[in-house]
Amino acid sequence: MQTKILLDEEQMPKKWYNVQADLKSPLDPPLHPKTQKPIGPEDLAAIFPMELIRQEVTTDRHIDIPADVQDVLRLWRPSPLYRAHRLEKFLKTPAKIYYKWEGVSPAGSHKPNTAVPQAYYNMKAGVERIATETGAGQWGSALAFATMLYDLECTIYMVRSSYTQKPYRKSMMHVWGAECIPSPSTKTNAGRAMLEKDPDTPGSLGMAISEAVEDAASHSNTNYALGSVLNHVCLHQTVIGLECREQLAMVDDYPDVVIGCVGGGSNFAGISFPFAGDKLTGKHKDVDIIGAEPASCPTLTKGLFTYDLADEAGYTPLLKMFTLGHDFVPPSMHAGGLRYHGDSPIVSRLVHDGVMRAVAYHQSEVFDAAQTFARTEGIIVAPETSHAVKSAIDEALKCKKTGDAKTILFNCSGHGNFDMSAYDDYYAGKLVDYEYPDELIKEAIARIPIIS
Amino acid sequence: MKRIGFLINPIAGMGGAVGLKGTDGNVEEARRRGAVPQAKNRAHITLALLSHDKRLDFVTCSGAMGEETLKETGMQEYQVLYHFKGESSAQNTRQAAQMFLKAGVDLILFCGGDGTARDIFDAVGRYVPILGIPAGVKMYSAVFAIDPVTAAELVAGYRKKSLRDSEVMDVDEEAYRAGELKTRLHGIARTPALAGKVQFSKHIFEEGDEERAKGEIARFFHEIMIPDVLYILGAGTTIESIARELGVNKTLLGIDAVKNGKTIALDIDEKTLWALLGPGQEAKILISPIGAQGFILGRGNQQISARIARRVGIGNIIVVATPHKLRETPVLYVDSGDSGLDAEFGDSVLVVSGYRMAQRKRIHQSERG
Repeated sequence: MQTKILLDEEQMPKKWYNVQADLKSPLDPPLHPKTQKPIGPEDLAAIFPMELIRQEVTTDRHIDIPADVQDVLRLWRPSPLYRAHRLEKFLKTPAKIYYKWEGVSPAGSHKPNTAVPQAYYNMKAGVERIATETGAGQWGSALAFATMLYDLECTIYMVRSSYTQKPYRKSMMHVWGAECIPSPSTKTNAGRAMLEKDPDTPGSLGMAISEAVEDAASHSNTNYALGSVLNHVCLHQTVIGLECREQLAMVDDYPDVVIGCVGGGSNFAGISFPFAGDKLTGKHKDVDIIGAEPASCPTLTKGLFTYDLADEAGYTPLLKMFTLGHDFVPPSMHAGGLRYHGDSPIVSRLVHDGVMRAVAYHQSEVFDAAQTFARTEGIIVAPETSHAVKSAIDEALKCKKTGDAKTILFNCSGHGNFDMSAYDDYYAGKLVDYEYPDELIKEAIARIPIIS
Repeated sequence: MKRIGFLINPIAGMGGAVGLKGTDGNVEEARRRGAVPQAKNRAHITLALLSHDKRLDFVTCSGAMGEETLKETGMQEYQVLYHFKGESSAQNTRQAAQMFLKAGVDLILFCGGDGTARDIFDAVGRYVPILGIPAGVKMYSAVFAIDPVTAAELVAGYRKKSLRDSEVMDVDEEAYRAGELKTRLHGIARTPALAGKVQFSKHIFEEGDEERAKGEIARFFHEIMIPDVLYILGAGTTIESIARELGVNKTLLGIDAVKNGKTIALDIDEKTLWALLGPGQEAKILISPIGAQGFILGRGNQQISARIARRVGIGNIIVVATPHKLRETPVLYVDSGDSGLDAEFGDSVLVVSGYRMAQRKRIHQSERG
């Protein structure tokens, strides 16, 4: 009975997989926020190195992972794929449950998979400093680690509600030499404007993005880095799914169901894009790909598929994606990393086209699932990851009813060792089941006369 | 230094143990049945926890209405502001509360039941926050802490910013003893909230002033009001803030009707409400959970009868409440007097708690259902 399926270091993927190559038609282009015309590479050059801009738009199917980047990734990659025997037994399901464990990276999540190449390409382009935002602190700590490797300075705008409540993520950033500032801050025009509007705001990912983009755009030695949403970020994460496909092949298996949690979409993209590619190219037409999101910020299940800003202040291009509106400030729930009004344009497109689907869960039910996982498989997952765990358990229980012995694969994207206060709240009965009141909103939108 | 006015209703709770469902006008009967005073013991638990807190300055009433308890907990310095003789009465409670108000107390801490809460509220209104140590027979009012220990925590951690609205309920004791529950919303007091207790979670925005949360809810409703729909507005400050945002009149404690941005009727009774729901008139009901238990229907808003709720449709009943209120009420209740209707609500309800945000709350399932 094999529990861990391991690849040798030389079996680590040498190329990323770009699902844009297999889309039936190209993605809708990002639009300039002022002119509403498609943006060109030069519009992004102020904040991104050219190689990342190229990766953002390319339709090449495979992109080489630089040897220097591979060297760093080998610190924790290839990551293990586990067969969840104990969880299966507990659920009494005929399903086979596999999970890809990304919590083995130095920062404890999948985020370094893209932080490292992003820092590398910036270093190559002669950039001295990177500004970024972070929600729950996963991305900030990953980028702090990556920029340290390449001797870059790093400034991180951390959503204020997390900054005060997740002191250890902040401490990690300091250990790796980065500067961490609560957002909204008084350092940027965007931050000052937001504080003037609402001094008590808990902050949001959209606000923090505005601050980091402004910081990068107004300092010539500084670039910006985003931990999710953008195409090149999703691209870098595909190492997860590529490894999974190899690992499952080693035990002669292929998933019927692929699951990830979704905030901006990068870990979900990472595990699912290689399988979405198999689906798009007809190799495995029936694979069911599920994104699990919070009911309090249900972008894919309740949002509109339209052009919207990626940030609060309007510095970023307009992206065609599922969105709840860039002015939507999701409530401060524990899965801070899933508090984003929009979603990756590629993930959005694939959900819109029916290649993938999404489900939404309440806070307390995902913690129920996380507890089950901790008490069977041992790992205490991050609140974000618990959404994927919940979805995997739901699918396995469906199999129990139907008797199907499906193969379920989910991305166990990070550990919850710095989220124990969330578990404390769960046990104290303090979790709030926030939910987006979409019926009220949709009824009103449908019936309120449109005023031009 | 915080100045706390402390009083006990010494007879509160006596009726309960001997099956009298309330002690008002029944002290002698309660004593005859062997009831012993409860309130003092309950208050002692709270005061013992506060007696060494140097930041608190207590003022109180003589004898059994406060002084005895303070003395017994070993408190050295306090001031007796109000003296009474004989059996304490509602009149004594009101007079003592007025003295506290004049003395500029920051908070009135009392031990008693719904009747005591009502008497104090009548004397001080919303000028002074009040907090109850539960000791009475009926505690439908939301001014009570869950237990005496929590009451002590709330006093010790009291900050002006963390106040919440709390309904003071009027229960008809005569009717109650006859087995019928007639509640009326008497007023809305200000009560310390447990804001500081969630500092270690990420819910910090909820610790902002409750007014801010009300403003968010109101802003959301401003966006989603639909023309030609009759809006039936329930009682309470959350709904009042929605009315304010819409620029329409609203009574604080009554049921009012609004249509196309104009007030149609104020403080309406059930019959008038029924008449407003003419043929083809689409309607929505906006209500907020009321009282310590958090009743959506059946307490304090009995004008919205079961037939009104059915006529409007359960899907058109919109429940609103601030996160503060919802934190105090883990489960909501429905008791419309029509168990079939109550059951139609199911096991949970969506409660609008902010701008474009709601919470899924469990509804208490009665055994009969």
